[in-house]
Formats: sequence, C-alpha cells, structure tokens
Amino acid sequence: MSKNKRIIVSLILAGIALSIMLFASLPNVGGQEVKISDLVDNPEKFKDEYVVTQGLLAADKIQWDPDEIELRFEIYDENNVYLPVFYKGVKPDNFSKDVIVIVDGYMNESGVLEAERIQTKCPSKYEGEDMENYNPKKHQEILKQNQD
Amino acid sequence: MHIIGYTLLCLGIFVSAFSLIANVIGYKKKDKRWLKSARGGILSLLLIAGSAGFLLFCLLGTGQFQFKYVASYTNESLPLVYKLTAFWAGNEGSLLLWVILLCITAGMVIFSNHIQNQLIPYVSCVLLLNILFFFIVIFFTSNPFEVTDTIPIDGLGLNPMLQHPGMIFHPLAIFLGYVCLTVPFSFAVASLAANRADGEWIQLTRRWILASWLFLTIGNLLGGWWAYQELGWGGYWAWDPVENSSFLPWLTMTALLHSVMIQERKGMLRLWNMSLIIISYLLTLFGTFLVRSGILTSVHAFSDSGIGNYFLAFLFLMTVLSLYLLITRYEIIKKEANPIESYFSKESSFLLNNLILVASAFAVFWGTLYPLLSEVFTGTRVNVGPPYFNKVMAPIMLALIVLMAACPLIAWKKAHVKKFLRNFTWPLAAGLLSSCILFAAGLRGILAIIGLSCTVTMFASHVQEFVNGIRARRKVKKENVLLSSWKLLMKNRRRYGGYIVHIGVAFLALGVISSHAYSQEVLKTVQTGDNFSIGDYQLTFKGLTEVIENDKGIVAADVEIAYKGKYLGMVQPEKVFYETWPEPTSEVAIKEHRFQDIYVVLSSWESLNKATFQVKLNPFVSWIWSGGIIMMIGTLFSLIGGTRINNRVYKFSSSKAGEF
Repeated sequence: MSKNKRIIVSLILAGIALSIMLFASLPNVGGQEVKISDLVDNPEKFKDEYVVTQGLLAADKIQWDPDEIELRFEIYDENNVYLPVFYKGVKPDNFSKDVIVIVDGYMNESGVLEAERIQTKCPSKYEGEDMENYNPKKHQEILKQNQD
Repeated sequence: MHIIGYTLLCLGIFVSAFSLIANVIGYKKKDKRWLKSARGGILSLLLIAGSAGFLLFCLLGTGQFQFKYVASYTNESLPLVYKLTAFWAGNEGSLLLWVILLCITAGMVIFSNHIQNQLIPYVSCVLLLNILFFFIVIFFTSNPFEVTDTIPIDGLGLNPMLQHPGMIFHPLAIFLGYVCLTVPFSFAVASLAANRADGEWIQLTRRWILASWLFLTIGNLLGGWWAYQELGWGGYWAWDPVENSSFLPWLTMTALLHSVMIQERKGMLRLWNMSLIIISYLLTLFGTFLVRSGILTSVHAFSDSGIGNYFLAFLFLMTVLSLYLLITRYEIIKKEANPIESYFSKESSFLLNNLILVASAFAVFWGTLYPLLSEVFTGTRVNVGPPYFNKVMAPIMLALIVLMAACPLIAWKKAHVKKFLRNFTWPLAAGLLSSCILFAAGLRGILAIIGLSCTVTMFASHVQEFVNGIRARRKVKKENVLLSSWKLLMKNRRRYGGYIVHIGVAFLALGVISSHAYSQEVLKTVQTGDNFSIGDYQLTFKGLTEVIENDKGIVAADVEIAYKGKYLGMVQPEKVFYETWPEPTSEVAIKEHRFQDIYVVLSSWESLNKATFQVKLNPFVSWIWSGGIIMMIGTLFSLIGGTRINNRVYKFSSSKAGEF
C-alpha cells in the first residue's frame, strides 16, 4: 500500500469516526415537529419532550404582561383546535392576527406549551409577495400545505 | 411592452437551444462554421438577456404598475435605488438576474483568449445548458413581464426589511458567486467529456474559482450583517435552511481552493477536485431548490410556484450527467500520482484541512436535511435548529483554526518536527499568554477561552510568517520595512494573499466566539425617567416621540446610555409603520463602545411613558465585519494581477496533458 493511499485511508477513517459522533449527538439536540391536535390530544405523550409546532395566531387570546415580560397566547390549526402557549419574553415582529407562529418548547402538566423560542412567519416577510396574501385564508392554505 | 419581454424570453430559449445543438453538431462534424454560429448564438444571448434586463430596469424605474412584478415590489414613493434594485427582490427578477450573469460569464469565457482551446465547445455546451434551463424556468413559471388584469394606481411597495443596503448587494453577491462557480464546473465537466484528466481546467479557471469564493464570502457576510442590523433579534446567523444553502457551497469551495494546490504540485487528488467542484455546483442548485420550494420549515417563506420541481429535475439531470462522466472516466483520472513524501508535510495538512471542511459541509447538510430524512425514515419530523449546529460546528471549526495555526509553519514535501516546534514557539506562547490574560481578566467558560487562544495562536503564526519574510528580504536587500513588506506581498501574491485571508478569518473567529460566549441580554419594561443596567452600562428611558415622515410613521424611544456613570450618548431605537405594510418593523439602535455593541430594540409600548426594551451587549461583533473586509482584500490580492501559475507547475501538468 503506497503512502498516499495510507494517508487517504486514515483520513477517511477519521471522517467516518467524526460522522458517527455527529449522528450520535443528533437526537439530543433536535425537536420533534408535532401537529397542534396531537399536542392537545395527548399532552402526556409529549411531556418533557422538546417539540416544535406551528399554527395561526388567535389575536384575541394574546395576553401581554409588560411588567413581568410574559406573553400568553393561543395558536390554532385548520380544525380550530387551540393550543395555549406561554413565553417568557417579548412579542416578535409581525405578531398579529392569523400570522403563522412557529413555537419551540416543552409541554407542561396543564397542557400549556412553554415556549423557548417563538418565530413568526408570513409569506410576505422575505418575498415581497402581494398584500392580498396577508389574509387568514392564504395562511391557512400555507399551513395546510406545510402539514401535508 | 410585455410583448417585447415575452419575445425576448422566447428568443432566449430558442437561441440557447440552437447554440447548444450547433455546438454539438459542430464538434461531431469538426465543422468550424457550426461552432462559429454557436459562438454567435452566445453573443446574441448576451444581447437578449441584456435587453430583457434593461427592459425590467426601465419598467421598475418608471413604475409601470400594469406589470405584476413591478406592482408587487415597488410603489410610487419608493426611493429610486430601491425601485431599481427591486429587480432581485422576488423570484422572477432574481432568476432573470441569474441568467443575465450567466450569459455575461459565458460571453467572457467564449471570447477570452482561450478561444482555440479544445475544451471550449464542451464548456459552452454546459454553460448553454444552464442558460437554456434558466430561460425555460423563467418563461414557464416566473415571468417578470406578466401583466395584471387591472392596472393598479400604485404598487404594493418593497418589504421594508429589504430596504437596506445589505439587501441591495447580498443577493447580487450570492448570484455572482453561483455564476462564477458554474465556469470551473463547466471546465471540469468539459475536460472529463474530452477524456482528459490533467489539471488544465484548474489553471484556466483559477481566477473564476477565487472570484466565486470571494463573492460567496461577501454574500454570506452581507446576509449576516443585514440580519444583525435589520431583524432585531441581536444575532447574525441562525442556521436557517436558507442561510445554510449558501454556506454549503462556500465550505466546499474553500476546500477546493486548498486542494487544487495539491493537484498543482503533486498531480494527486484529481478525482477529489473534480468531485469537489461538481458537488459545489450541485449544492448551488440544491440550495436554490431548498429555498424556493418551501419543503422545509423555515421562517423564510417562499411562495411555491412550481419552480422547485424544475430545479429538482435539473439537479437530477446534472447529477446523473456528472456521475456518468466521473464513472466512465474513472480509469483515466485514477493514474498513480506523485507520492506524498512524508506524513508530516504541508501536503498532509492540506488533506486534513479538506477533510475538516468537507466534514463540516456534511454536518451542515445533514442538519439541514435532517427534518426531511427523519420524517421519511421514522415518521416524525425532527427539527434540529441552532443547538445542533453550534454543538457540532464548534469543535470542527476549532480544529480548523488549530490547523490554520500550524499549517503555514509546516514545510512542503517533508517537514522537520524540530524546526516546526522552534517556529511554533512564539505563536504558542502568544496563545498561552492570551489565555492567561483572559482568565485573569475574569472571563470564564473554558471552551470559549480555548477557542480565543487558539485564534490568537493562529493570528500570531501568520504575523510571524510575514515578519520572517520581511526580515529575510531585508537581509539581502537594503530596503525600508514598508517597501520591503510591499515587495514581499507583491512577489508572492497567492501565498501572502492567502495569509491575509487567514488573518481576516482570525478576526472573524474572535468576533464569532466572543459574541457567542459573552453576550448578555436584558428584557425590561420601564417608565419615562427610569433606568436599568446591563453589564457596566446604564440605560435611561427618556420618553417616546412620534414623527411622520413621507409615507412612514415612526415611533422612536430616546434612550440615554452611560458607562460606569459616564454619559456616552443617546440612541433612538424605532418602530416604523409603513403605509404599504400592515405591521411595523423594528429599527435597531446600535452603539459601539470598547468593541462592544450595545444593541437596543424598542419591543413594544403601553403608553407614551411606558415601553419595553430588549437590550443586548454583543462583544466584538464589529470584528466579524472587519474580518470580512480583510478576507476580501486578501482574496483580491491573489486574484488581481499575480502570475497565473508558477512556471514549474505549469510545465509539469502540461507535460502530463500531452500524454492523453
């Protein structure tokens, strides 16, 4: 075996070792993407598990406590299943009626999703899409597409 | 007008298809006339794409709102510069920009002085295939010249977040990077198709490779800069699929930049380099597919206009084509190369560098695709997000920095451990000293301190290289320090340009590590006159003001900043309400003091006297941007002027070329 081959083989082995490490560390840092209805139906199943979910923001359910910097709101899916969310932090930009909210966090005992991170998403955010898109129906369609 | 637009796009499809066919026929029949007519085709494509671009610029500039594209991205009150640069604000225009740039590069390649090169017909085939694909996509899925049924009085305006200088140049730089990358890819594929395995494609496209790397670097950094200034979450990189998709080709191109040097010197890694450029190219297509198809959960939402399918199909076609060529030409490529003389040599360290870069590209790729893969294999979609990337990338990047610290001191061919250790003394001492200083200064977090000291070591070893070079020069020639360093730089631009880039990376790494490890955040709701503190800084809320400017309503908070009781100045974080946009956007206020950014966001308010702020202290973020500028300067040094390749190497590979 020539020296070149030996060097290359050892490098490849090192690469394989590295990738095994990568895969091993994956499950600990990931969050399962779950539908709202699954979370509401089986809160026990997801207890203490880091989950990611998305839904439309119910604007009339937003409770913002500026003194404690606490945000409570609800998101719902196309079947009108509502999920309460609690977040210790400020409102993100674009936090308005029927915008899609992506929430990462843990379910607590009382069926509230305690969010570690909330992000808003709207079709007009980065693409300069037309404003007619900024309506609930379009968002519902997008949400549906995403979940299919 | 829209008829002209449609006609131009149609012509684009036909002319590129014709030139492609003419090229193939001309090559098969060895008929110069066909080849000449194909070249004419490329010239007319340049004209066609240029006219289409000019037309769109005119439409945008004069506000022709009967065009859907113009109406969706501009309005009357938009400043002219944003009206024009709305060209690449959406799908349709950005694809048109891409094809224009492709036509320009195709023209540059075909009409350069390599015109007699036997690879050119193949190269132009690959380029034309790309051009044809883009014209087809634009015409069938995202035509910028589409007209509306009813002419609106005013357009909808450009998303306020995109009204930022960073967003003028960021997409442009990324597309330039992608397009420049197509050239070395075409040459590589061409030399495979021509049954040649020598390094000529590398020599001919060295500048294109560098240029593509330069633009990708600029593009990625501008994206980060824009996000930091505009998005108001206090960071610059979020490992979003969209960001990853432009970071991936950057990683593989960085690997290629280094591994081509091994091929130039040793004639080895031929298959590897081919694969790297092919992978980089495929990654640009893959990234575009990822970004525009919306298959991943991302805060960046893109409308799915079916464009993703086109890109997927083209990606598939190009993958099959490249794989076919690689497999059938395997025997030619796989000739025994000059052996590496020692395990401890620059050659080996370059191999290690490639391994690290490719591994990191793989890690990013894996994390980006993991949600999809996990859904396919386990049924549940697992999102990995920033914790995964930070955890995995931190050690990989640390290894890279350590390697960068050692590599300049390792000799080619065979390095001697003793000599290396002697050279490494000072850089190592600098690193150790800096870790002691950091520790004594009260910094904690062992990983961050290790990272910072390794970066200092890396910086020091490069400075030492410069100092040694200048010293050696001054011993022989009686020059002053400045002249001597300038001449040293100019004499070996490839090498020292590379070192300058490394020094830029050191700055960037210092910024990234310290802003990650030592940033602080405070969320606070305060009444007028109240103050609160973050680190050694006190912030006092002086009240809200409301202003109406043009079509914007601005709510600004006056916040006074003091450092240890000493007044520093006033900042004004704002929320801006645009007439054309339903939601206000945050305008961040950033105050720099002692290399720290005090990053103030006005989050919300209850009344004119009560508001909520999000304040972050981000140390050394400005070093990231200055590091980027240094990297740019270094790349320009190796790019502009400079000998194309050193003669010894050129002879070596051209004699090889003769064998085939």
